[in-house]
Amino acid sequence: MTPTTRRWTRIAFAGPGAVIVAIVTMAGMALWLPGGAAGVDNLVLPLILVPLIWAALFFHACLDRNLTRVTAVALGLLVIHGGLIANKFMQTDPANQENHR
Amino acid sequence: MIALPKQETKLMVAVHGWSGIVLGLLLYAVVLTGTAAVFAEEIGIWSGGHVATQSAFERPIASHVQKLGADTPAEYREAVDLFETGDHDLGMFFHRHEMEAGMPISRGWFYLVGADGAVKERSFGTNEDVFGPRNDNAFSSFLVETHVRLHVPSPYGLILTGVLGLAMLVAAISGLLIHRHLFKDIFTLRRGAKPVLLNRDRHSVAGTWSLPFAFILAFTGSFFSFFGTIGVPIVAMAAFGGDVEALNESVFGNPGTPDARPTPTAGLDRITIDAIRRAGAVPTFAAIENFGRADAKVTTYHPPASGDIAPISLVYNGADGTFDAQKPLIGPRPSVGGTLAAIMSPLHFGNFAGIVSKAIWFGLGFAMCYVTYTGLRLWLVRREAGSRSLDWLDRSLVIVGLGLPLALLGSGVAFLLTMPLETATFWTPAGFMIASAAVIAAGALWRSAASFAQALTALTGVVMLALPILRLLMGGPGWVNALEAGQWVIPTVDLALIVAGGALVRRLRFLEKSDADITPVMQAAE
Repeated sequence: MTPTTRRWTRIAFAGPGAVIVAIVTMAGMALWLPGGAAGVDNLVLPLILVPLIWAALFFHACLDRNLTRVTAVALGLLVIHGGLIANKFMQTDPANQENHR
Repeated sequence: MIALPKQETKLMVAVHGWSGIVLGLLLYAVVLTGTAAVFAEEIGIWSGGHVATQSAFERPIASHVQKLGADTPAEYREAVDLFETGDHDLGMFFHRHEMEAGMPISRGWFYLVGADGAVKERSFGTNEDVFGPRNDNAFSSFLVETHVRLHVPSPYGLILTGVLGLAMLVAAISGLLIHRHLFKDIFTLRRGAKPVLLNRDRHSVAGTWSLPFAFILAFTGSFFSFFGTIGVPIVAMAAFGGDVEALNESVFGNPGTPDARPTPTAGLDRITIDAIRRAGAVPTFAAIENFGRADAKVTTYHPPASGDIAPISLVYNGADGTFDAQKPLIGPRPSVGGTLAAIMSPLHFGNFAGIVSKAIWFGLGFAMCYVTYTGLRLWLVRREAGSRSLDWLDRSLVIVGLGLPLALLGSGVAFLLTMPLETATFWTPAGFMIASAAVIAAGALWRSAASFAQALTALTGVVMLALPILRLLMGGPGWVNALEAGQWVIPTVDLALIVAGGALVRRLRFLEKSDADITPVMQAAE
């Protein structure tokens, strides 16, 4: 990978990448976080943490010299949480279709 | 001390500078109006000339709510919001919940009841209308609205201020990372040094002391901006298939068995007396769910108790006024998420320990304004040293940095002049626009940015000194009347304006005597 490609890859992960991964992670966290004593932690904590998740992804993309690790962390979060959301929609779709019949 | 490698430190310096320079002027506007908005309640009392000190919740309200509830069409009695507005008048909003463009709204009848029990106003509208600016609070409302969404239509204004919050978060974290001598920098202010070093020291000292505060403000501010605009719809999509109302019910609702039998919501006076006793403070807000039904619930919201940081909410049975439970603001019982969400508001607004915490938040907010302004100047001087012409940015910085406070004071002048004519909701923002246009035009034509800065400083001082006089001339209460009524806010704000205005005018005289020019005394940031 050329230095220019590396730089633009880093910019992509620090810029739009961090935004997309933070939003998908926020949505996905609602599906695996425990509800806690009040049953709302899974809904509230992602909303609180999303600015910090974004900042962590941004600074990780800027400061980690190992670009493979930057890619792995960001894509790992994206795939895991995106997968959870897709799975949730695939589970609920048949029920919705039943309701519309 | 944080020891980043040289290459990463260089990158963080660039990130710190650019995060400020790209959105710095807008960020400055948000921080400055936020600093003023810390005292929005006091500014509202001062500008509106409100002298009453007895809360509407300390008076009997049940009969008014009953009577106006009977006057309201049944479809708008789903819920009622009770809150103070004006000179401790009682606002009642009988409404139902609706969805509009995918977002939940409230629509219904609003009534304003004065201290004498007379209904001063009846109007139909949405929550945007009811909680929007009114003639007697147009100035404080304008300050808050500028801070919250920069007057950009929803949801884009909130998204913009959320992005500014993230930029501030980046500036705060990168500022921490580039400090090689964090603890030394906190105390380094070389008073005998040349002006170039002194100005760098001032930026560094103010920035270092306010770093934790900047982090908290940026984090909580971006949370508030993104919460309803992006966060709630996306989490609702993931967890409830897009049903925002279901999410709101889970997070904010009071679970219980539905009982739709018609029963008067008659226990309100008993509820307010008990709530004030339990919380040790009058409610800031009260909400009735299922008004006129057997399962009516009344929730009263109070500021944090002494020594605590989380606000209090109490739940009562609406029909008989019996106490049900102390409830967290979020969720039916205490939880990690609920507590964290509940403390976001006091952390952002600094209203958890009365006037003391507000004063600290105001001071730190002012320090943030100073850091943003001087940071931009340091960045600018560095580029000027590289012989690149950035005169337009230099002028823009003076126009926004020193012109914005003047334009905000201009909106205050417009408010005081037009409130007696009942046209303040139009003229307050119009006054700001007129003052801004005048500052921009003068800034573009003035011979130099440095002398324009001096002129703006002088004029700001003069307007500050003139505001208390204008307030009295327009029929506002005098100090004796205010103090006799127990209202210390009005004389205090008058005094603050006189002291600040006098200091600005005096500073200008000092600058003239010493023939100092603020432009060449800044040194490049590293």
